[in-house]
Amino acid sequence: MSDGFPLGPPLVEGPRPDAATVERFRAIVLPHLDAAYGFARYLTRDPVQAQDLAQEAVLRALRYFHAFRGEEARPWLMRIVRNTWSDFRARKGVNDQPLDVVEDRAAEGPDPEESALASDRRRHVAAALAALPADTREILVLREIEDLSYKQIASVLDLPVGTIMSRLARAREKLAVELRGRLGRREHGLPDM
Amino acid sequence: MDCPTCEAMVDAYVDGELSATESAAFEQALAGCPDCRRRLEETRAMSGFLHELPVEPAPDLLRARIERELRTISAAAAPRRTMPQWTKFAAMAASLIVAVSIGWVGGTFTGRSGAPGDEDLVSTYMRVASSDHPVDVASTDRHTVKPWFAGRLDYSPPVHDLTSDGFPLEGGRVDVVAGRKISVLVYRHNQHRVALSLWPATSPGNTKAKVVEHNGFAMAQWRHDGFEMHAVSDIAANEMEAFATALDRATGEDR
Repeated sequence: MSDGFPLGPPLVEGPRPDAATVERFRAIVLPHLDAAYGFARYLTRDPVQAQDLAQEAVLRALRYFHAFRGEEARPWLMRIVRNTWSDFRARKGVNDQPLDVVEDRAAEGPDPEESALASDRRRHVAAALAALPADTREILVLREIEDLSYKQIASVLDLPVGTIMSRLARAREKLAVELRGRLGRREHGLPDM
Repeated sequence: MDCPTCEAMVDAYVDGELSATESAAFEQALAGCPDCRRRLEETRAMSGFLHELPVEPAPDLLRARIERELRTISAAAAPRRTMPQWTKFAAMAASLIVAVSIGWVGGTFTGRSGAPGDEDLVSTYMRVASSDHPVDVASTDRHTVKPWFAGRLDYSPPVHDLTSDGFPLEGGRVDVVAGRKISVLVYRHNQHRVALSLWPATSPGNTKAKVVEHNGFAMAQWRHDGFEMHAVSDIAANEMEAFATALDRATGEDR
């Protein structure tokens, strides 16, 4: 699990990619751009910063592509997104934004097909997720939204699988606590503890 | 199975990470453990809630930005002089197919009074972008470029250097498109080139530049000071807008 990239510089770049490498990269890595952007969106909690992060991560992935050994491309790219984000934050001194900034735009606009209750709940869930600390948020996003297995998450976060299991359990507990502060539990089917 | 073990397995059970045997053991243990049943219920609820969240696909602009970077990297890696002629043609043809399929909103000139169509302008750009000799007259000095057109065209295009706006003039060329000779000015923006084709307008008045972006190409079309302006490049849409604004301002200062 420790064969990956160091968190932050110095980063080992490969030889300048030639046209054939770019083509191979396009076919293998680029199909996971949606996932990379989605992850970046939840890490940054900001659509503009998410684009910058995803772009830099993809270009960085191309420079590392020489070291790609045919492992699964999606977790590989996610790991680079995450490391790029650590560098972003170190470089720009970006910290988690204060929550009142993200609170209200965490969810999409109302969908007429959907009941007001469900849309209300979704907004609360998004806000609760955004309110969680970064390490809690990322593990929930990788599991529930990006749908990675424990093994894949372990490779993204560079942690043993057993740790993933216990962290995920704690993360869900934290989300439940956070949600409980926001939702009336009876109306939303949130079980009593 | 004791309760702490059972509790520790709740998440793995919900996530489908247990083997069939482990799942069966867990389900059996669950029957005698109300606390773990509650925990299971909550874990499922949290998982379900997060699954309801909307998933945003990567925006088109992000895709275009990445495509542009990849193309630049590919192009820089391919040594032009040793590239066989046919690959250059194949690459150009491929780009043209992409560019032509874009469909330039609001700008169908083809077949009308012999004016150049979009595909002509894009091929003009491709000649500029992929040629070893992008310009016939290479100069950043407008007083060299502008007179060069005299005698080669039946009109005199306005020429401006836009270095202070980040678009230094590289030179000019004459292109024959749709059976007509037109002036093409070539500007540089970082490592990108902008091909500006311009010819006398047949309608009066100025229009605001309309920028269309697709597949990493940005195309702008507008009318200014008696000239039809068409710019094509592989820069971003906002950079293209900045280019058009800078050009209009430079023309305005002229008078």
